[in-house]
Amino acid sequence: MRRWLARVGALTAAAVLIAATAPIIMADDLTVTRGAGDGGVAREREIRDIKSEIHRLEQRVDQLENENGQLKKSNAELKQNADKLQTSTTQQLSEIQSRASAPPSPADFMDAMNRFLGRYRFTLVGGAAGSYIYDRKSNTNTFALDLEPIILWQLSDKLLFEGTIEANLPAGSSADYQLPVADFQYFLNDYAELVMGIFDQPFGDWYEDQSPFWVNRFITAPLPYNVGSLIPPTEVGLQLRGGFQWGEMGQVADYTIWSGNGPGYTNATCGSNTPPSPLPDCSTTTALVGDTLVSDNNIRLNTHSPGFGGRFRVYPLPADSNFGRLELGASTFDGKWLDGFWLTSWGVDFNYFRDNLQARGEWIQTYRQMPQGLGADNRQGWYVQAGYFLTGLQVPLLPSELDQYIDRLEPLIRYSGINQRATVLGNVITTPGIGFTGSPALYAPHAREVAVGLDYWFAPSIVWQNELDLELPRAGGFYSDTGQAVGAYPNDRAFVSQFAVGF
Amino acid sequence: MSRLIKFGMMAALAAIALVPLAPRHARAAEMTPAQQKRQMFRRGAQLWPIYCNTCHNARPGGEFSPTEWNMIIMHMRTQANLPPQDANAILEYLKASR
Ligand code: HEC
Repeated sequence: MRRWLARVGALTAAAVLIAATAPIIMADDLTVTRGAGDGGVAREREIRDIKSEIHRLEQRVDQLENENGQLKKSNAELKQNADKLQTSTTQQLSEIQSRASAPPSPADFMDAMNRFLGRYRFTLVGGAAGSYIYDRKSNTNTFALDLEPIILWQLSDKLLFEGTIEANLPAGSSADYQLPVADFQYFLNDYAELVMGIFDQPFGDWYEDQSPFWVNRFITAPLPYNVGSLIPPTEVGLQLRGGFQWGEMGQVADYTIWSGNGPGYTNATCGSNTPPSPLPDCSTTTALVGDTLVSDNNIRLNTHSPGFGGRFRVYPLPADSNFGRLELGASTFDGKWLDGFWLTSWGVDFNYFRDNLQARGEWIQTYRQMPQGLGADNRQGWYVQAGYFLTGLQVPLLPSELDQYIDRLEPLIRYSGINQRATVLGNVITTPGIGFTGSPALYAPHAREVAVGLDYWFAPSIVWQNELDLELPRAGGFYSDTGQAVGAYPNDRAFVSQFAVGF
Repeated sequence: MSRLIKFGMMAALAAIALVPLAPRHARAAEMTPAQQKRQMFRRGAQLWPIYCNTCHNARPGGEFSPTEWNMIIMHMRTQANLPPQDANAILEYLKASR
């Protein structure tokens, strides 16, 4: 700007100079004409010089005017650019502002979180379920809701943390939260891994592998893992586990051994145990035949000794065999539930699938040592189940548009049962919840159940499940807290419909 | 007594499992990284419908990001006691089939 002003100044000065010299030149001309003769040649040269100087100055003025025009033009261009810059900056600013004030998408949030945590990463998985439950005997007709998010937190290539929080809505109260799983999983080498913390009981196929909503083909648990569960559901302690290939591809075997707090039983309140009960007077003892196992993480202060368990699985068929996939498993779990008194258990299980068919089953036997005079408290439980996807089924006479729905259907059937000498009447709770119909028949010492189901799969982990339970308990057994014979237990019927999602 | 036998058996099984028993893999050193990847992808594609359908319906690669799959496969390696070469092959397949 300054330079421009200087140029304008110079230009003005030149103009003033021209204006000032013009009359002199003109006067000189007159003089020249008038006074020709004396020193004319010298004057003429002088005049020529002045003329050429004027010419030079005129050229300079033209040049300056030209430059001035160019400066004005570039100045206008500059201004235009500055305006453009300002509008685009304002636009960008407002974009940034609107982006900053908008809530981040889950993916953005996870990315940001992962950036924040550096190489430590986590992800949120888990499941949710909403059920409608009807049971005839307990006159239940209700809805239930349960959410089980799992946080996976990868601390290194070898270390993973898994935490499951369970939030449900029990009857007549607000949300209830539990921490069924919280453990570190550390891979020692290719064949061994250490798990530390609270974990699902690795015994059998149920707690660890089949219990999540979207994994279980049925809504309820089979009897040996239902209210009269034979094995405690979780354990606090340490596991060593791993797998290896022993034959062709797919022919693998794996093991899990663990030690934890061990089993514990709820202390039932004892009623009047009157003769002719075959059981001793229960007011003199804290233990009863048929006690229920403690289910809440087994965190007990009166730990008598740790429990031990082992599980072994083998897959005899190679991956490319045409005979499908077969899994055979065996488990054991033993621990003192009271000083010097053991709960010993073992179980075998199988799982087979080929194309649309899947079948699985388990047999479990437990022995509980009882204080003198209380008699044995041994239990057995089993289940077999099968499901068949209707994918590819051609139903005659049915419009082909319906095929896509039929493809997603999976009819199911399951038979399960338990046997024990007695149960505790005081432990019978018929308040329903997710996966529990509230049927009193489930507590019978010789409970039997036939469950039929129909699942509709929207996606591999999104399912609408329907289940009809026929409770057909056998006669026999006692209530150990009242001493009454159970006798013929009335049959019962329950229906559950559930929407389950795994995410 | 039967308890002792059982624990002995379990300990023996664990000991067996800890001994490197795994079959000798195809000599990986002689393959280029690209060939190794392709071989893993093929193995994973063959194993995924079998292993990952055992306990629940197999979840397809598109459901999760590669970072998430890293964690989920670690989780499933624990859950199913998968041999690492199989878990890694399935991971490769899942990431590539997104
Ligand atoms: C031994 C049984 C078993 C096998 C085999 C298995 N899963 Fe799972 N999977 C589970 C269970 C149980 C869950 C539910 C999570 C939980 O409760 O910890 C689950 C959950 C998942 C989830 C949801 C996210 C998560 O981490 O919870 C994905 C995805 C998944 N599995 C993928 C796979 C893939 C891929 C394979 C094949 C390598 C596989 N699963 C094999 C039992 C199994």
